[in-house]
This record gives sequence, C-alpha cells and structure tokens, in this order.
Amino acid sequence: MTDEMVLSVDNVSKRYGEGSTEVYALTDATIGIRSGEMVGVVGPSGSGKTTFLLIAGLLDTPTSGSVSFRGQTISRAGTHPNALRDFRRQHVGFVFQKPNLIPFLTAAQNVQIALAVNGTVGKAAKDRSITLLQHFGVDHRANNFPNQLSGGEQQRVAIARALANTPRLLLADEPTASLDSERGRQVMGMFRELADREGVAVCVVTHDPRTHEHFDRIVEIQDGRVSPDTAGSARRPLERTGELPSK
Amino acid sequence: MNIAWIDIRYHFVRFMMATVGVGLLFSATIGMIGLYRGVVFEALMIIREMGGDIWVVQGDRAGPFAEESEIPGTLARRLDGVAGIKWSKKFIQFNQQFEIGGRHVRIAVTGLDYPDDNGSWVPLVEGRYLYSGHYEAIADESLGFSLGSRIRIRRDDYTIVGLTARQVDMAGDGIMFVTVGDARTMKADSPSEAVLLRRASNLGDPPSQDATNKISAVIAKVEDGADPEQVRQHIASWGDVAVYSRVAEEEILLYSRMWRLLLQILAFVVMTLLVTVIVVGLSVYTMTLEKAKEIALLKLIGARNPFIIWMIVQQALFIGAVSFGIGLLLAHLVFPHFPRTVLIEWKDVGIQFLVALVLCAASSWFGIRKALSIRAQDVLS
Repeated sequence: MTDEMVLSVDNVSKRYGEGSTEVYALTDATIGIRSGEMVGVVGPSGSGKTTFLLIAGLLDTPTSGSVSFRGQTISRAGTHPNALRDFRRQHVGFVFQKPNLIPFLTAAQNVQIALAVNGTVGKAAKDRSITLLQHFGVDHRANNFPNQLSGGEQQRVAIARALANTPRLLLADEPTASLDSERGRQVMGMFRELADREGVAVCVVTHDPRTHEHFDRIVEIQDGRVSPDTAGSARRPLERTGELPSK
Repeated sequence: MNIAWIDIRYHFVRFMMATVGVGLLFSATIGMIGLYRGVVFEALMIIREMGGDIWVVQGDRAGPFAEESEIPGTLARRLDGVAGIKWSKKFIQFNQQFEIGGRHVRIAVTGLDYPDDNGSWVPLVEGRYLYSGHYEAIADESLGFSLGSRIRIRRDDYTIVGLTARQVDMAGDGIMFVTVGDARTMKADSPSEAVLLRRASNLGDPPSQDATNKISAVIAKVEDGADPEQVRQHIASWGDVAVYSRVAEEEILLYSRMWRLLLQILAFVVMTLLVTVIVVGLSVYTMTLEKAKEIALLKLIGARNPFIIWMIVQQALFIGAVSFGIGLLLAHLVFPHFPRTVLIEWKDVGIQFLVALVLCAASSWFGIRKALSIRAQDVLS
C-alpha cells in the first residue's frame, strides 16, 4: 500500500445562477487526499463544504477546474453527472448525517443492494454483507429492518453499505451529527480504523469539534475558499495493519 | 434479491388495494369480451345445431338472421326434388311477448319440422323430445316453465315436455321449440276484431292461405359426394329464392347484425383499458414518489438507470399480473350468474393477459420519468 494521491480536487470553482443571481459556492479550491489519510473539512454553514462534497463525490461537476482519482482526471466542466455513476459505484463510498437506509430492506439487504448495483448477487453478496455487518458489530441485526435498529446501529449498517464495494475513497457528511458523543466517537473510530488498516482515503465534512482529534489534517473552507494554512498540513503519522474484510 | 418484490411485500396492503381495484377493471374487460363471445355463441348455436349445408330464404333477402324472410312452406317439398339434396327442414323463428300465467314472457319461438324433426338434436337437460305434431313444447329453463306444466299461448294450451339450458337467441330470449305448424299458428294469431276487419277488406277476393303457410327459411343437407356449391347455384337459379351456405349465413348473422355490438363492446374495452392504464400509472407514480429518497440513494451508490427503470417496470408488471389473476378469478366466480352467457375463452384470456402486461409496462412510464428526474444529491436534502 502506497501513499498515493487518491482524490485530487484541482482549482475547482462552482458557480450557481447566471448574471445578477450568480453565486460562487466554491472558488479555486484545491484539496488532495492520500491513501490512508483521514481529512476533516470544516467551516461555517454556507461556506461551501457540501458543494465540495458533491464535487469530490462525483455527484456534481465543477464550473472550472478538475477532479482526479489516482492521477486520472474524472470530472471537469461539462462532464455529465450520469457519466460518473459507474466510477462512483466502484470507487467511492458515502456516509451521511442520517443513515439513509432503505426502509423496506433489512440491514443485510441494505448492504447487499450496494453489491447488487455493482453486479454482485446471490450467495457471494449475502456472505459479503454478513462479513461486513460482523466487522461493525451489527451482524445480529442482519434480518432487522432499519426502524428496528438504534441510531448507532443504523449508522454502522450505513458504513458497512458504503464499504461494500471496497471503495478507495470514503466521503462522510456530518456522520456524527445525529449521534450522542459516545456513538459519535465510535463512528469516527471506525473511520480511523478504515484509513489506518485498509488505506481508505477518508474525507469527513463536519461541524463537530469533538471529531477533530481523529483527523490527520483539517481543511477549512470559508466563503467558498480553502484556507491556505490548512490545506496540506499533516497532523499524525499513518499506521496501517490491513484487517478490514476484503471483497 | 428482487428489490421491486421486496418493496411490494413491505407495502402489501397498499399493493393489494391497488391490485383489487385494477383487478375489477380487468374482470370488466374479460366480461365484455366474454359477453360478445357469449352472444356470438348463442346466435350461432341454432344455425350449428340444426345442421344442414344450405339455407334457402326469400329472394333478394339475406335470410332470417339479418332481415324479414318469408317463403312458402311448400318450398321444402320443391327442394326435396332437387338432385343432391339429402333432406330439408322448414325453419321459422320469431320473438314475441306473450302473457302466460299472468306474467309477460319474451320467447324466441322456433319451429321444428315435425315429424321429420322432433328436436332430437336439441340438448335436453330434462324431459323428452316432441312426440306429437301439436301442443307440445321444449322450453329453455330461462323462460321459467317447469317440466310437465301446461301453458296457455293465445287460444291453445301447450305442455312442456322437455327443458334445455342456455338455449337462447342472439337477443337473449329463451328459445321454445314447437312444431312448425304450431309456430305459424302462434305467429299468425290475431284478435277476432282484426280477423273481421281483414275479411272485410278482402271481400270479393278468394280467401288466402298464405298468412299461415309462411316460413322463414328452409335448411337443406347435401348428399355425400354431391357438390354443395353446384346444388346451391342450381336452387339460386330459380330466381324466387336466395341461397346461402351455412358459413355464409353465419357470416351474415355476425357481420350484419352483430358488428355494431362488437364495435361497441370493443369501444368499452378500450375505454376500460385506458382507465386501467391511468390507474396503474398513478399507482406506480405514487409508489415512485414515495421512494424518491431511496431512488436518489440508489443513484448515489451508482445504480445505473436500467436498474432503476427495471425495478419500476417490474412493479407495474406485478400489479398487472396479480390484478389480472384477481380479475380472472372474479370473472369465473361472478359471470356464471349473469343472465346472458359470458363465454371466457382461454385464447382471449391469453391475449388479454399479454395486452394487460404491455399496458402496465407502458403505464410505468409516468413513474420512470419521475425516477429519472431524481438526482443522487437529493439524498442530502
């Protein structure tokens, strides 16, 4: 496992509206995240964090600049978001403030659906889903529907789903916001473990200062611009042991 | 893992409510097609059951199933002399309302050419065929007469000696078989005052036997080995009659009398299917709207559009298939109790099932359009 650059957001700007209604949500932002690195993106509400997450997660395309993945340019101005879906499916995992589990699927099926959209079905998908749920300590809830799980259990299932296709990049948007401090710490610990052991590049958008201790770096976004003094500073050394179940 | 079916199972009550509603619509379309088939079956029944290869009717007329046809009763004897004719039967049928036992009954009176024809081809459910040239009748159960009962029609009493089931004409009136002579008497019977007035108007003219000697048609069987077309052309050359093959007579009945009914039924079927498309479309659209967040999530985790489209189409197909099953079940439970025959043919059911699936798949377009407009980032909203 190398410290290769997994995600590289280069000089990205995002403009909404035209003429008098024109607003720049992100201006000339450059952020890189390496394999095994856990980066926190902080900033006040409306600073452009979510826009950054959308563009980094290939859910939206920049007005200018480009997004590269492991050195290959994937998204730039004019790229249709639908064209990025295949890439997203194989390489990017998402975790949100709300777990966003599908209510009519069991915990195991919520993981399996991520595998199914990537072509893994049947016993292989079942085994993989149970392995992941086991890893996050919710395998005893495999056949329960989301409304039968606690908030922390739901979030752990959501993380298992995000990792179903062994992504190289995990993007999280306020993943601890709806959890108590203990459960929030557990979730952040899981992310840390993913970065350290599996070499997943983890990017967490957060307001919560209690989470900062887990990050290698903190990137601050203010008024759509990345603060220059935070963009590249490493806070802790990387350690990896590689124990996350592989596909 | 079939996500479409899992969703349906999770929202089973709502799914069943939708399918029962659509099922009722499908049972209506099955019933309408079945009603048409039933009317055709009933209309052709008498032609097919009576046998014969050719129908001889009044000249320049299309025959008794299309318009009034009156020919002399003696025509049957003329036909018996034609080379190639094996047998001939007089045919008379008319619908009339009689007051019997204090109630008004519409009857399709049909004459049997007794004694050559005692009705042995009529499918009886009870009783016997005609043993006498007068005052015996075989009646359909729908007329409400019991076996052995005596009924007064005009001035004569008839004994019901046999009962049939579902022997009705194309108007749905129960058929009562009597001898041709009795049928002519029933048809020609009129009040005393009318007879007196007719006699007065005919003063000086010789009394006419025509009124009671008329029949509607003569049915003839061609001998084995004889060419039916040659025989038909020979009889047609007489000029005073028109001659049709049995197939031609069936076609006259279907296309002259029943094509409007067919058009009307087809129009109702089309309308009902359009309503079905709208109901299924709305159901699928509502189900898609309720899953907007889940669809956004599927897109977020990289599901391709065909994956999402197939999920929606499958749900529409599930609704269509289950609804059609419910409709078919209802049709089999309810329609046998309808006053007219509703004939459900499996070929029609198969075609309707395919049409139902195609329409349901097409109706999922509303939901698909909505699903495709949902963006992955809507998960965050």
